[in-house]
Amino acid sequence: MSARALQQPLPLRVTSNAFLALWCLIAAFPIFWIMVQSFKTPVDAYDSNALNVILGPETLARGHGMSVLQILLGLGAVWLTIRLASRTLPAFVRGSLEGGLQWFGWIIGSTVLGIGSVLALFGLVPWISEILNPFLGPLGTDVLGLTTEHYKTVWIERGFFRNFQNSLLITAGVVTISLSVGTLAGYGLARSGSKLAFWILIVALIFRALPHSVLVAGYLPVFINSSEWLAPILGENAPTLYGKPFAVIAVLVAINQPFTIWMLRSFFQNIPAELDEAARVDGCSHFQAFRRVIMPVMWPGVITTGLFSFLLAYNDFLVTSLLLDAQNQTMVPAIAGMFNRETTTTDQVVAVAAAVSITAPLFFLVMVFQRQIVSGLTAGAVKG
Amino acid sequence: MKFKTFAAFIGPSVFMMLLFIAFPLVSVFQQSFYITQPIYELVDVETCTPGFLTQTCVTETQSMPTLDEHGEIITQTEFVGLQSYRNVLELGRAWEALSAGSWTAFQSIDFWKALRFTLSFTLITLPLVICAGLGIAVMINNATKAVRGPVIFISLLPFIITPVIGALSINWLFRGDGILTAALEWYLQRDIAMFAQAWTIEILMMFYRVWHVAPFAAIVFYAGLQTVNQDSLESAIIDGASRWQRLKYIIIPHLMPLIVFISMIHLMDSYRVFEEIVGFSSQGHVISLQWLTYDFLVPDQAGNRSISRASASAMLTMIGIALLLVPLLRRTWRDHHGGH
Amino acid sequence: MKLKTLLAAGVVAMSSTAAFAGCAIENSVPLKSLSAGFEAWKAVTDAMGECGNFEASLDQEFREKQPEAFAADPSLYHIGGVANATMIPLLNAGSIRPLDDLVAKYGQNLTPNQLIKVDGKVMAVAMMVNAQHMMYRADILEDLGIAQPTTWGEVLAAAEKIKAAGVVEYPLGGTFKTGWNLGEEFVNMYLGEGGTFIGEGNMPTINNAQGVAALETMKAMTAYMDPEYLVSDSTYVQQQFQQGKIAMANLWASRAAAMDDEAESQVVGKVVMAAAPNGSAAPASSLWWDGIVFASNMSDEEADAAFQVAMEGIDSEMVSANNDAAVWLIKGYTPGKLATGAAATAANGALPYPASGPMGIMHTELGNGIADYLNGAKDAATTLADIEAAYMTAAKEAGLVQ
Repeated sequence: MSARALQQPLPLRVTSNAFLALWCLIAAFPIFWIMVQSFKTPVDAYDSNALNVILGPETLARGHGMSVLQILLGLGAVWLTIRLASRTLPAFVRGSLEGGLQWFGWIIGSTVLGIGSVLALFGLVPWISEILNPFLGPLGTDVLGLTTEHYKTVWIERGFFRNFQNSLLITAGVVTISLSVGTLAGYGLARSGSKLAFWILIVALIFRALPHSVLVAGYLPVFINSSEWLAPILGENAPTLYGKPFAVIAVLVAINQPFTIWMLRSFFQNIPAELDEAARVDGCSHFQAFRRVIMPVMWPGVITTGLFSFLLAYNDFLVTSLLLDAQNQTMVPAIAGMFNRETTTTDQVVAVAAAVSITAPLFFLVMVFQRQIVSGLTAGAVKG
Repeated sequence: MKFKTFAAFIGPSVFMMLLFIAFPLVSVFQQSFYITQPIYELVDVETCTPGFLTQTCVTETQSMPTLDEHGEIITQTEFVGLQSYRNVLELGRAWEALSAGSWTAFQSIDFWKALRFTLSFTLITLPLVICAGLGIAVMINNATKAVRGPVIFISLLPFIITPVIGALSINWLFRGDGILTAALEWYLQRDIAMFAQAWTIEILMMFYRVWHVAPFAAIVFYAGLQTVNQDSLESAIIDGASRWQRLKYIIIPHLMPLIVFISMIHLMDSYRVFEEIVGFSSQGHVISLQWLTYDFLVPDQAGNRSISRASASAMLTMIGIALLLVPLLRRTWRDHHGGH
Repeated sequence: MKLKTLLAAGVVAMSSTAAFAGCAIENSVPLKSLSAGFEAWKAVTDAMGECGNFEASLDQEFREKQPEAFAADPSLYHIGGVANATMIPLLNAGSIRPLDDLVAKYGQNLTPNQLIKVDGKVMAVAMMVNAQHMMYRADILEDLGIAQPTTWGEVLAAAEKIKAAGVVEYPLGGTFKTGWNLGEEFVNMYLGEGGTFIGEGNMPTINNAQGVAALETMKAMTAYMDPEYLVSDSTYVQQQFQQGKIAMANLWASRAAAMDDEAESQVVGKVVMAAAPNGSAAPASSLWWDGIVFASNMSDEEADAAFQVAMEGIDSEMVSANNDAAVWLIKGYTPGKLATGAAATAANGALPYPASGPMGIMHTELGNGIADYLNGAKDAATTLADIEAAYMTAAKEAGLVQ
């Protein structure tokens, strides 16, 4: 039937695939490049000859290098990670766990896999190749200049781990609260045809369009002096909101609400209203119908929306840099700080290593959830 | 749904938006009509600062703010009407420049310079994002099933990467003798400085924005392509419609709501362009409206900030966004009333 | 009794040597500091941290946060790091405390030069000075037979020769990045011409022959600089030096050490530090200091503890461990050849940066406005007139001009 009729002529397919390959190159190259830079000594990293940056002669001369064997092992480990993350894990979680347990499955599975791959790449591969290199002759000599010292500097000496924890805390908080508040509102808005609902959506849309710097700068004095103006309400223990992660979570949730409710509303609209009416006939209240009947079929939508909340919270710079102090700073402002202060070139490469480090979890996330995103969007979100 | 139930469902969300968005917005609106300033008095102050070996002391007459008995600065707030708006718009100078027919003079006034760039940035990247997104989506859809997964993964990278870092990574490729500039120089056999003139920086910024946003458009369109009605496609083929006609008459109309959705998001996001200005440090050549607001807002080294002008410029930015969104909002209005 | 206390103290000290190594006191009051984040501050706050119970925020947004955070009651931070200009808002708001009694009590190791006095009261303790001064590639200048340039006229002549010889890509480097950096370059040049920025009643006074001369020198410089000068900050100029792309620049003293850093520099030992070139009246540079202030809104015990911890942070031990990180004002500093540039600049009579409230506005407007002249969009007089007009708008809004 249609398969043959839709078959494309060869030239068209070749052109199409060639352009696709070009796009992939454009999409990946800048990111690939900072990754390469982060493994080199400063002299190599900023060399204007591209080949020197890739091969890293100066790095090699300083005794940091990889043998052919190590490269192969490394590539193998990367391939295995990708395979596990994009195929095995999602299949396992979807196949053998149900409902609420799936959440745990995703979280624990991704964490184990993430830690495992870091250990394999930075621990196991160098260890194995160190043992085997002497026996392999030409295969065992270093050919590619490569050093992991900048990563050690970032994570061990600079205490980047604390920033990582802060980022996790804030991101987790924003995603959970944003989704709980947002699903309620999205459902309410989808099931109400009232004028009020319409105007709330329009106002939300305008809020979505606001320049953030305007709002955020207004928060700073209020947050710093909060113990004074909260004192009449909360008495002695009124907190100073500045520098408190929960305050930043609240701000980010609010900023993210307009997008979240629009998105979830369109997901809910695709769930036939008959479903909750049936439940109501059975004697459920609106809220029970929402929880027992609607939510179970909403997971794809919730996961997709959750990913967008995750990106917003994880990548935020404006709010976190202004409202958090150094003790609970997240990764993005910490990295911006590394770049902006008076730096040496070594510091710059260290900051690049930090930048690559914060991109890694995002990579991983997309690998695991990629199908979810596409199927979630296909399932009928974003109707406009 | 009863109003009470409705209110219970949307309550928390609306409360958060009121508290953290609407309330600050109202205060910004109000501040744009007032000026608050400390009351200064002239004092002779002797200041001693270190030299390399010995101190230098100078006595100067300085303006110091007066403090009340609690040690707080006394301020006075004054209603100034539209004065702050006039200060931002500089209509007099703008009119003078225009009537003298001098575009350069007109473009040296901050607000108009920022407006020019913001508008051209928004309106040029919009079609690029839509076309690139659509193209990538169609190409992914054409590709064999086996490569789709990896290709989608790679395509999503520019979208998920932290914007600050994405902008820097592109910046490094071109700045000074960055490797892509070096490659271009080698290819064209001439010296190139991408950051030395306004138009090249603008191109870089637009390229970055399209690179960053097109993947999102592509993935949304790709999702949309999966739900194209196969029957109508088949009957179109039977009717002898060409590939192009099928794209034009079946696929694009099917994707129309998504195109509107992407356009709306993109208009809002690119009208408040800001990260690019900072990431490419283009202030010397081009500025945007949100950057202008930000620049009024951040205190200089002596702690002065222009809150009133910042508020006025923020309100002007908002009016601009609202105007741009009107056509799209009318569509939403019709949809809402046409039932779901 | 005394012996017992000593013993007890000894035991405590022994048990906590790991945490409090290098600090003579053990701090029991929780303290926090907020400062900029460059190397010298990192060294100083690390040394303070050795006393225990101390948290440092090295924050690039400190300028924005400091006035608000110190005005809160109690202040969010006890110790603040400031420079000439960033002390102004704290001083104006009365949110930093006079230090005379604390200096008398714990400041035996301070030199009189370190005490920043306002109206006779010590308001801050300076730890380092910084200034832009000449750095040049001695090997290149020697090869071409050029003497060390001492005025901007000579610098430009030298640049011309170097350009003609084609030894390096660009003869000159400059921190011309739009904004604060570009403003600072003008401030240096204009001071070198002998100009003043603010006059009677806080009116601007830059639209004059000296202003035009300063702008013209800057424009003349750009002919010998990387055409991307409007995005080049100190780190970029430093890298250009390290990679051997430029031969001369008027760069910050705090960057001197990077020239001889073997790990990243290709010109180790070839860069000589010299005085900032003179304009027609004075060295085209301004002297900056960085120092420590203490919040008003904290208890006297906290102030006591904070001051002692701060003194530990800027003691001779810290300096000897970080000798080349800055041009320190602290006892125990041995000025090496890297500091000669800053010293010679000061000796030639460079003026301190004229920090004040109106100057803050002026600096911002200069930084935003000069690019138009360098781009060729306006001539010098119009540029200065427009900057004055922008200054007036902002100063009226701030209440500084009636």
